Amino acid sequence: MKKRIPLILIFVAGLLGVISFVIPHPSYQVYDAWIRNDLLRVLSAFAVVLALGSLLRVHSDKIRRKRRNWQYSWLLLIAFAVSAIIGLFGGVAADGILPTTIGSFSYDIQTLYENIVIPLASSMFALLAFFMASAAYRAFRVRSMEATLLLVAAFIVMIGVLPLGYSISKHLPAFVQWILNVPNVAGQRGIVLGIALGVVATSLKIILGIERAWLGGGE
Amino acid sequence: MKIYERLNKIDRRIIYAILFVVVTLPLIFPSVLKVTPMTPVENLFTAVDKTTDDKALILDCSYAPQIKAEVEPMAIAVLRHAFKTRKKILVLSLYVEMIGLATRALNQVVEEFNSVAETYEDSIIYGRDYVFLGWQPPPIVPMLGMGESISNIYVVDYYGNQTDTLLMMQRIRNYNDISILVALSGSRIPISWVSYAQNRYGLQVGVGCTAVSGADFYPYYQTGQFTGLMVGMKGAAEYEELVEANHGVKGRRVASEAMLSLTYAHLIIMLFIVIGNIGFFLHRRKK
Repeated sequence: MKKRIPLILIFVAGLLGVISFVIPHPSYQVYDAWIRNDLLRVLSAFAVVLALGSLLRVHSDKIRRKRRNWQYSWLLLIAFAVSAIIGLFGGVAADGILPTTIGSFSYDIQTLYENIVIPLASSMFALLAFFMASAAYRAFRVRSMEATLLLVAAFIVMIGVLPLGYSISKHLPAFVQWILNVPNVAGQRGIVLGIALGVVATSLKIILGIERAWLGGGE
Repeated sequence: MKIYERLNKIDRRIIYAILFVVVTLPLIFPSVLKVTPMTPVENLFTAVDKTTDDKALILDCSYAPQIKAEVEPMAIAVLRHAFKTRKKILVLSLYVEMIGLATRALNQVVEEFNSVAETYEDSIIYGRDYVFLGWQPPPIVPMLGMGESISNIYVVDYYGNQTDTLLMMQRIRNYNDISILVALSGSRIPISWVSYAQNRYGLQVGVGCTAVSGADFYPYYQTGQFTGLMVGMKGAAEYEELVEANHGVKGRRVASEAMLSLTYAHLIIMLFIVIGNIGFFLHRRKK
């Protein structure tokens, strides 16, 4: 029963999802709109609550058992509580019941986001440029014909997309567009078609109950 | 240490230091580098430009802080374009963590226009010229639902106003009243807009994406599923150029200012690849 109910649910939900695209009749589209606009939104709200609950449980447990790097979990819980309180009671435009300024110092949700989340996330990503430069120097070696072709194409595209490309030759940016539009698209299209067929096959296997790994629980 | 060994074993800290200098110096002393707009960006610009008075455009700001440097200039350029040419615009994000960035871009551009506006007519007014719809999970709901009714999906806007009471929304009901949707993202969200909103409702989709994901999107641009394409910071700089050249919009052009830094960074990386390969060849010959 524990497995049969989820299998029936996934079969019905999968079938309803597919049917809506092949039956455009208004009488069916009403049900489809209800499923998407009402049921799906209620389900996502539950998913958000479940995810937040799970996050809090995992980190509270980590602190209680003093697992590796448990101190960082305190940071997460404090940040969670602060942003939740300010977000819920401070209002999205700093117009809530909770005051979000002390003199000229502002701590509304947008200020916190712009001054904490954006710089932290941007800095993490900016580090990639340094690793990429170092990795390109170490790994980009002309060892074979294929590697040579890749390197030449990469150099042409790198120069061609820059303003410098137009200064070298007026035709270089157009040639780069050709590389992106023809050889690149040919390769990409093959990959996309392969992935699409794989997705269709896997989805059908899940809907029909052939693929059951998502149920979990092992044997 | 022999020359080829030196060429092969440059300390990574030296690479980091040189890259740091060539990237930061042009940002500290910024200068705008002239860029020549490419066809994919021109197509997007033209599609936005052709939006008629009875239609609006949608700007989907679904980009995370990690790719802000590349994609935020696109959002600002599109907003400047829309406000300068008095196009009605709806702004939304498909994920909650990106709402703050959409708010930031909107606040900046609205402030730019309103600080020089002399009359009420010149000003950019919320509800009359633009609406910020906010966030509505999961993404498939707004993608499909807005094809039937925008105000049914976004019953209230980001600031809690009843959407259907806003002046602009009296005429903007669903995708039939939308000229183009510009999806700014570093993920596969623009493809989902094609799969759901375009296939079912015929919505035109334009895209602004990171340089890394640009190659993935060219097949969709080639087939016409994407009306136009802005790829990476260069794409943003091209759009900035078009907005300034065609509509005389003045304002800080962040992407254009970063072009010099980007150029030097590319050249340095290429130089290191060449040095590495010279060392590799000398080493192989010695063997």
